[in-house]
Amino acid sequence: MAKIELNNIAHSYNPHDANPLFALKEMSLSWADGGRYALLGPSGCGKTTMLNIMSGLVTPSHGRVMFDQKDVTHTITEERNIAQVFQFPVIYGTMSVYENLAFPLKCRHFADDQIDKKVKEVAEILNLQDFLKNRAKGLTADQKQLISLGRGLVREDVAAILMDEPLTVIDPDLKFRLRRKLKEINAKYKTTLIYVTHDQNEAMTFADNIIVMDEGEVVQAGSPKDLFERPQTTFVGYFIGSPAMNLYECQADNTNQVSLGMNTISVQTNLDQKNTSNLKLGIRSEYITVEQSSGPNTIHADVIEVEDFGNYKLITAQQDSLRIKAKVKREQVVPTDKVFLKFPAEHCCIYANNKLI
Amino acid sequence: MPKLYTFIKYFCVILWSCFVIAPFLWAISTSFKDFNSVTGGATYIPWLQFEPTLDGWSVLFKPGSQGGINIIGPYFNSIFVTFTASFISIALGTLSAYALSRYTFKAGFVQNNDITFFFISQRIMPPVVLAIPFFLFLSTLGLLDSLAGLILVYIVLLMPIAVWIMVDFFNRVPKEIDETALIDGCNPFQAFFKVVLPNSIPGMIVAGLFCIIFGWIDFFFAFILTFTNVQLLPVKIVALNSSITPWWSLSAAALVSVAPLIVVAFVVERFLSKGNLSGALK
Repeated sequence: MAKIELNNIAHSYNPHDANPLFALKEMSLSWADGGRYALLGPSGCGKTTMLNIMSGLVTPSHGRVMFDQKDVTHTITEERNIAQVFQFPVIYGTMSVYENLAFPLKCRHFADDQIDKKVKEVAEILNLQDFLKNRAKGLTADQKQLISLGRGLVREDVAAILMDEPLTVIDPDLKFRLRRKLKEINAKYKTTLIYVTHDQNEAMTFADNIIVMDEGEVVQAGSPKDLFERPQTTFVGYFIGSPAMNLYECQADNTNQVSLGMNTISVQTNLDQKNTSNLKLGIRSEYITVEQSSGPNTIHADVIEVEDFGNYKLITAQQDSLRIKAKVKREQVVPTDKVFLKFPAEHCCIYANNKLI
Repeated sequence: MPKLYTFIKYFCVILWSCFVIAPFLWAISTSFKDFNSVTGGATYIPWLQFEPTLDGWSVLFKPGSQGGINIIGPYFNSIFVTFTASFISIALGTLSAYALSRYTFKAGFVQNNDITFFFISQRIMPPVVLAIPFFLFLSTLGLLDSLAGLILVYIVLLMPIAVWIMVDFFNRVPKEIDETALIDGCNPFQAFFKVVLPNSIPGMIVAGLFCIIFGWIDFFFAFILTFTNVQLLPVKIVALNSSITPWWSLSAAALVSVAPLIVVAFVVERFLSKGNLSGALK
């Protein structure tokens, strides 16, 4: 296990072109030993490139990769002692399940009894103990992915286990159990887990720390709470949360007030002497409350739709061009025509040029 | 409707089987006939329509002094040359194909696809274009009329087939399997030999089959690059021809010469089943 640092890392797949395109723009990141991380972002945002740089499958165009302060930028993959699980199951089709799980240990010349003990232990964790003698090729896609995962778990001394959307082919119930299992493994062995996903729920439920990426850049890194409550950019606000954050263009009225259409909303952001052009107000639908009457920070809007999701209701309301989504408790009585929706000042985020002020 | 479908399916299969088997049956029947039975109109059933004889077969094994051609030596020469050249072609071709599939080569405008095409272009040229260069090449090396010379030439002819088939095969193998092996602790050579190669056996068998077929049926180079020391089966069979075509001996020779290919086809058939080719890796 090791502390992994990416120092000023950037990568282009066409570095010699006149205008190279950077899959990963310059950034520095640090992964604590034993941490549980999620790399979250849309497809093509550079998540996989970052993983491949850490595992050594890709050598970065710029910057250095450090494992416990040792420069491993040009160290070959097999010497980095990293485990990586890909999106689709990669198994050694000519080997049995046992041989697949034992392969990383055999390559590293572990003793046979150690291999046997570890393989059986991991097989039990992954419910593969009944298939150990079977040919890996004949198993189902999710069982094959469990083998891929197992090959990562058999080595206790790995610097980190990198998982590139590993549960894509696994059914939802098993997915949930596996995520829990991975958390247990992280707690038991203190193995650094880095989990790439574009599914925010997966990221939020799995990781202690989430790194959100977009267009080759890290746009925010923090705990699930930070990302939810104080998204640093409108992209994070939009990308994290279901439904996405309500975002509206607004104008600054004075130090702590913005006008939103024909409404005035007080905020806790100090807008004094700030670049007040291209302002946006963002608020999570979870923080909007239904009021009985008009008051400060309240918007009177037409109810368009009320959807019952079982454990909560989702109100969609509209005032002129403002479309507001509010999540309320299921037992909350919601008027069918007009509704007063309050934007609590402490939960209003103000963005200038899409960045949080 | 399902019955009609089944009927059409079986009808087509039987029709195709007849199409494939009929020439063999015809050759088997002819190989047991004599001059009169062959030239006296179509006959099919032995003992009823014609009296079977082993004359056609015995010519193949009699020495020249007794009017035969004795194919045993050329037969084993053909087996040795074809299988050795095919084996070496597959071994070298697989390595080349893996490199062409996994690594990027660039020299000016020449890239991986151009190199692959260069290999296969050896087979596109008419064989006669290569005749004189090969003759001079073997002559310089002192390998004319020798098994080693023929093996060398056949490697040049068969390796493009192996490279072409294996490049396509490796291109369809996800590179993640190599990467996984590297991550699991293999170096690139171990990744190839321990993981990629065992999974590539179906592709190698297909390539091997093609190499064996093309090597086995070659007449042209076997004819111009050998004289008296070494002879291969196709050249020897052609020697059967005379002013009166001996259809009975030629039929027997055809059956004998096709036998190794049938044996090879039966042996490798199980490797070529759908289950073995698809999902070989993932």
